[in-house]
Amino acid sequence: MTKTFQRKNNIILAIVPSSRGFGFAALEGRDTLVDWGLSIVTGDKNSGSLKNIEKMIADYRPRVLVLHDASAKGYRKGPRIRKLVTDIVVLAKERTMNVALLSRDQLMQAFFIDGKGTKYTVAQVLAKRFPEELGHRLPLKRKAWSSESHRMAIFEAVAVAFAQRLRAKGL
Amino acid sequence: MEFFQKSIHMASSHLPNYLRANRKRLGVSQDDVACLLGARSGGKVCRYERGAREPSLRVALAYETIFKRPIRELFAGLHDEVKREVTAHAKRMMRKIDPAKAGNQSARKSESLAAIAKGKRVKPKAP
Repeated sequence: MTKTFQRKNNIILAIVPSSRGFGFAALEGRDTLVDWGLSIVTGDKNSGSLKNIEKMIADYRPRVLVLHDASAKGYRKGPRIRKLVTDIVVLAKERTMNVALLSRDQLMQAFFIDGKGTKYTVAQVLAKRFPEELGHRLPLKRKAWSSESHRMAIFEAVAVAFAQRLRAKGL
Repeated sequence: MEFFQKSIHMASSHLPNYLRANRKRLGVSQDDVACLLGARSGGKVCRYERGAREPSLRVALAYETIFKRPIRELFAGLHDEVKREVTAHAKRMMRKIDPAKAGNQSARKSESLAAIAKGKRVKPKAP
């Protein structure tokens, strides 16, 4: 059986590359999370990630793809991830998709009036907003000497998608 | 089951199904769902979630029981498609009814078909 889904959907797909692969979130309608998680890639992480992202784009056919703006001031990821972000943008453009790039400042301004917050406070807000989906995945607040939990990539992806939704609404 | 045998062209604002989101909300794996459905492995569940395989009515009802959501919500895209097809069939049937020969029975029938075509509930006739 062949299926062709021609959707005029309203899905925002957010991708946040991380050291292990990438975090992703698909937000539909006003604020329904239809998919979220962490895609762990082994071997060549960039080509593996691109392959998985391509599959995701084909599955969800999102209206817009949202990413962190790698060229913005304060972006702290390394050259591999910067290259991956560029490659994802190229991939999306080839699929004639809309791409939105959000800087850290834009993200924080979407969540806090004064624009001041941390990744963890954003994650706490999201865990409260989506208790069923994310409540049980919120890691403990890390100590200054411990490394960040890889699960934070999921929260970052949901945050980016949610911020894009708020920006689109003009809130 | 004509709907499931031919190729399906969907023009829906919904995803074909919301099985994955509901499964993740419960915090269970594909293997766990397979076990609940009485399947051997999570492979089948994966195919249901990707929309590569249509579940039987029995499986759809099992999903309804697991996720506590109606089938039309779980398979929203498919529901939209089926609804559109039924509506089109109702319109085609309405055109076939000859108004010249319309008796009480066919008046009631065309009333019902009109309601189906408009997506409204068929009202019971007052005695």
